[in-house]
Amino acid sequence: MSFVELKDVRKAYGAVEVLHGLNADIQEGEFIAILGESGCGKSTLLRTIAGLEEISSGQICIGGKVVNDISPRDRNIAMVFQSYALYPHMTVAQNICFPLQLSGASDAEQKTQLHRAAEMLDLTAYLDRKPRDLSGGQRQRVAMGRAIVRNPSVFLFDEPLSNLDAKLRVQMRSDIRTLQQELGTTAIYVTHDQIEAMTMADRIMLMNKGKIEQFGNPLQLYDQPASKFVAGFVGSPPINLIPGKIASVPNAVFECDSLRIAMPGTPLANGEATLGIRPEDISFCSDSAATNAQGQVESMECTGDRTVVDISIAGTKIKVSSPQRVGFDKGATVNLSFQPEKCHFFGPDGLRVRL
Amino acid sequence: MSKTPSQFAQYRRTSLYLNGFLLLAVFATLAPFVYIALSSFKTQISLLMGDVWFSPTLYNYNEVLFDRTSDYLQNFANSVLVTSISTFFVVLISFFAGYSLFRMRWPNYVVNLFLIWSMAFNLIPSVSLASAWYGMAREVGLANDYVALILAHITLHLPMALWLLASFFREIPKELEEAAYIDGAGFVTLVRRVIAPLMAPGLVATAILIYVFSWNEFPVALALTNNETGTVPVAIAKYAQEEEIKYTQMAAASVLSALPALFALLFGQRFIVRGITAGAVK
Repeated sequence: MSFVELKDVRKAYGAVEVLHGLNADIQEGEFIAILGESGCGKSTLLRTIAGLEEISSGQICIGGKVVNDISPRDRNIAMVFQSYALYPHMTVAQNICFPLQLSGASDAEQKTQLHRAAEMLDLTAYLDRKPRDLSGGQRQRVAMGRAIVRNPSVFLFDEPLSNLDAKLRVQMRSDIRTLQQELGTTAIYVTHDQIEAMTMADRIMLMNKGKIEQFGNPLQLYDQPASKFVAGFVGSPPINLIPGKIASVPNAVFECDSLRIAMPGTPLANGEATLGIRPEDISFCSDSAATNAQGQVESMECTGDRTVVDISIAGTKIKVSSPQRVGFDKGATVNLSFQPEKCHFFGPDGLRVRL
Repeated sequence: MSKTPSQFAQYRRTSLYLNGFLLLAVFATLAPFVYIALSSFKTQISLLMGDVWFSPTLYNYNEVLFDRTSDYLQNFANSVLVTSISTFFVVLISFFAGYSLFRMRWPNYVVNLFLIWSMAFNLIPSVSLASAWYGMAREVGLANDYVALILAHITLHLPMALWLLASFFREIPKELEEAAYIDGAGFVTLVRRVIAPLMAPGLVATAILIYVFSWNEFPVALALTNNETGTVPVAIAKYAQEEEIKYTQMAAASVLSALPALFALLFGQRFIVRGITAGAVK
């Protein structure tokens, strides 16, 4: 049974609809990342789940209960904000205990919970400080502490790491994940950082313009992108998208200039299409039988473990990422081999072509 | 980059001019007060003779405070009463009005119109309101009653308080409210535990300034009170009668009347400076 359920959730500000009928099931204990560009509606969706924004139509269920008309405090959720939103006039201990006090917990209960949280988050030495005397990472942990003492049924995170420096972010990423697994609490985590989403989440909900583009586990998104948008969003360096067309003579073939890729099945329709292939799924070859295309080398970047080569195939620029330290002259002609099972085909509507 | 000698000279010259202006400002604000304070220790004759050197006397203070014909202590008590109650209500009302105006989702034009109107209200000379309010007070049987003056002072000073509180309200991040709601707070808890403590410096600054304004308010107090209910500024004015002007007693009464405000300002000046410049620099 799903724990958090979205049923045709719509949100409009006046005449402008920002969430266009979202449906999703989230299981208990899952870590879900909502990924998308800024303005795609991911924060709005999180805020509707929190109850900070009302939805215009549809249904949100938490733990089997419809929460549309239930106020944030009665939804049994906890939220960590991007700005942490610590109460500046309270000490760390007071901040963490605030939700407990409001729920009427006894002093002893508060103390136990406080020390449990402080130990988990390594905050024991800072309990008497005010937020302004803490570093960014410590503030972040206090915000986490305030969230976990309530034993909520869902954690909501709104880009909690984006104010931290890169090194701390990597550290906190695994800390948050470990903590969530220890507690076994369902978590919904909004981020615009695909690495965060890929490394932390059980499943990623990739959003675009107020719609869910794909909802699946990280490798599904990577290996079987449901649309051109998903393919382009996930992965770095980004996937190569090559426009061309599908012809079936006699078997289905994708064509773009001299590039020809035999398709493993028969598409529903012929016509314009886009080929998507990740830079690491193209290799250099000398065997002309295995060659799918020829291109001219434009530039190269070597990062030590990989070499990324920019290549132009009849005017279309692609990237090839090779595990070998290849060395080509600028303008050299190279033979390229595309791994056929790693080729993705997208129709004119941007969706994956079913084969 | 280091400064060349001529730049240093220019810098010194500039700071000399600026400090000169500061001295002028200090003199301009302090001199009248010093003059009045000195006068309050002179005899009327010594003052009128323009003596520079004089032997100080407490006669004026004695007369103002303890003479059987003087109502000064009564007036002082009236002032404390009127000012305290009106300040309390001004701060209370402007706090909740400000919460609505600056924290709820009003369209911008509503907020701006409201603020512009409340500033325009301050442009109307209060004398022109005084006679109307006197008429209204008499109509409802509140002439010469504290209640009328308290209501008038609340009306007079609400707009100013709203302006003073605006920047404090705007400084509180929206997320703090949302966090409090999620943490389980209702509106009352939110205000009591989060908003009010964060607004405390602003509320103190506003309270002190409004207290001072109300304490010194003259034209409306003159219109709405009599000898018995008059406030300190009204009492001070009464030292200037047709037959004679008791300059030195007037000075003593003025010095006494300045004391509470002076203490309030000394205590709260750090809040006030913060209050007026709040939000100017992040």
